[in-house]
Amino acid sequence: MYQYDSIDKAMLADRSAEFRGQVARRLAGELNEDQFKPLRLMNGLYLQLHAYMLRVAIPYGSLNSTQLRKLAWIGRTYDKGYGHFTTRTNLQFHWIKLRDTPDILDALASVDMHAIQTSGNCIRNTTTDPYAGATAEEVDDPRVWAEAIRQWSTLHPEFSFLPRKFKIAITAAAKDRTAAKVHDIGLMLKRARDGALGFEVIVGGGMGRTPYVGPTIREFLPVNRLLSYLEAILRVYNRHGRRDNIYKARIKILVAALGKDEFARQVDAEWAKIGEDADLPDTELARIRGAFAATRFEVLPAQSEAFEVARAETPAFARFVRNNLKPHKKSGYGIVEISLKGIGDTPGDASSDQMDVVADLAQLYGQDDIRVTHEQNLVLPHVKLDDVPKVWAALAEAGIATPNINLVSDIIACPGLDYCALANARAISIAQHIAEKFRDPDRAENVGELKIKISGCINACGHHHVGHIGILGVDKKGEEFYQLTLGGSGAEDAAVGSALGPALPYDKVAEAVDTLVEVYLRQRQDGERFLDTFRRTGVAPFKEAVYADAH
Amino acid sequence: MKALTANRLIDGDVVFWKAGHWVERFAEAQLWADDDPAATAAEDAGKGQPKVVVDAYLIDLVESEGLWAPLSYRERIRALGPSNHLHHGKQAEGGAVIEALQHAHGAARSTGRVNLIKRK
Repeated sequence: MYQYDSIDKAMLADRSAEFRGQVARRLAGELNEDQFKPLRLMNGLYLQLHAYMLRVAIPYGSLNSTQLRKLAWIGRTYDKGYGHFTTRTNLQFHWIKLRDTPDILDALASVDMHAIQTSGNCIRNTTTDPYAGATAEEVDDPRVWAEAIRQWSTLHPEFSFLPRKFKIAITAAAKDRTAAKVHDIGLMLKRARDGALGFEVIVGGGMGRTPYVGPTIREFLPVNRLLSYLEAILRVYNRHGRRDNIYKARIKILVAALGKDEFARQVDAEWAKIGEDADLPDTELARIRGAFAATRFEVLPAQSEAFEVARAETPAFARFVRNNLKPHKKSGYGIVEISLKGIGDTPGDASSDQMDVVADLAQLYGQDDIRVTHEQNLVLPHVKLDDVPKVWAALAEAGIATPNINLVSDIIACPGLDYCALANARAISIAQHIAEKFRDPDRAENVGELKIKISGCINACGHHHVGHIGILGVDKKGEEFYQLTLGGSGAEDAAVGSALGPALPYDKVAEAVDTLVEVYLRQRQDGERFLDTFRRTGVAPFKEAVYADAH
Repeated sequence: MKALTANRLIDGDVVFWKAGHWVERFAEAQLWADDDPAATAAEDAGKGQPKVVVDAYLIDLVESEGLWAPLSYRERIRALGPSNHLHHGKQAEGGAVIEALQHAHGAARSTGRVNLIKRK
């Protein structure tokens, strides 16, 4: 993985010292809250319902064991022994004290981490495929480009006060595990017939109050022109984005208002002015690429005896393999997904002890490489098949071997009204109730891929618009209600879900999901996923079943 | 009835007003009748302590099991702790007032919330 150099380290040390001074001035009354708030937000520090929340950046979801152990230590020392992984592949601590924050930033800086660009109207953490460097599906390693964007965007003076926050995702595989089409910018790496690498550039996707699947404004951008083209997009947005109305300030509103062709024309005009000087020099690109070079793979047979014996003898391991082990580009290796969606647990939460276990496993068996997924799980991208049984056993002992990746209980949920100052309704307990309904793993496997995503308010941190089943918490006459949507997708077949019908009360949501699944099981044909069946039948049979009692 | 709440600056903890100072337990909070001008006077006094608290605001209360509880679900969660970790937050301590809060019913939205969202 990429190693920080002396400039990066000095910058983090300066930043931490600067914030220590700002906190001291706030506590002394030299800064009032209105003055201090933007400063703390620039360091990822929010004030939520019960305490401060510190959002730590995990650039493109990539960690080593030292960093994960430090996060575990921070959770144990300054929080309540856990952390919450987010859909931006960051980590949130929910019980932070302002007085401790400078020390926490120092601790983060000691392992090349920080909380910069996890809040505010800047370019946020760029996300990418958690299988990067491990999957045979990719045409290039997207982390190279994510790291280039990280270096370009970190504390970028021109783009630190955009009209609104700005999120970029990069996928290099046809199967999109980044939700690229619902980002401010989605970059899809492609290889042309002549072998040249380029990006399909999608701009103006998004969720929140006004969801859009983003249109493509350039089919093939040569990779070496990436930074100048991003700069051109950001400049057009910075100039014309709606600063007068927070609800219309995201780039998706500008792209929709101008139309994608006019927006693309303006970007091209700006791009021509910028020229190639703003692009990454080849030498720098080569330096970054070198940090992601794969050098430690052994030549192994495709089959592992230890793996096959364990799979034959241990049904629980076989189930884990079916659901949580994904194909690796190298023979004899696998990609291990670690579900943070234990039945009855809080989606995305990991205890400090669990983080330590994952760190140990990464160090022992996983090339010291850990990834965070936007679906709030963890990944060990490079595990020898020989070692998968040992990894599974250790995960099981730590309570994080739930075999449910992409299944009905692998639910995205925001913190909701249990923690968040913006939420209208709880999301976590809805996820827990649904997971309980599908506790039986045979039933869950029979249902197959089903992505449920829950947000506690219209800001859509839980990605409900792109859930196969989306659930949005709303405040209806002062009570928690939930609006269900069906047919959304954040993958390569991206779509915004459509409303099922009137919002349901809190205690009817899990039951309604159960009903939706039963309708799907009755209607499905030839291995269809829930989403496929819905797209074929339309909403009618689902709506009829859920609202039957109301008639 | 009404109570005055805020988050404490130094650690973000939820606090309630009691006779000129801030306490951590809702059970100890000072309560006022809806039309008691002392409530808004206390709110003004609380807002005048920016080195001690952030976002002081009045909340509405509702009777539950013979005791008073915040009307809004949001404020009950603040006074209790998150519903997914019952050993986290103030609820861990237990007691009659905590139980009354856990059993209370009411609106999901706080009276002071619209202004609060703008501030946070």
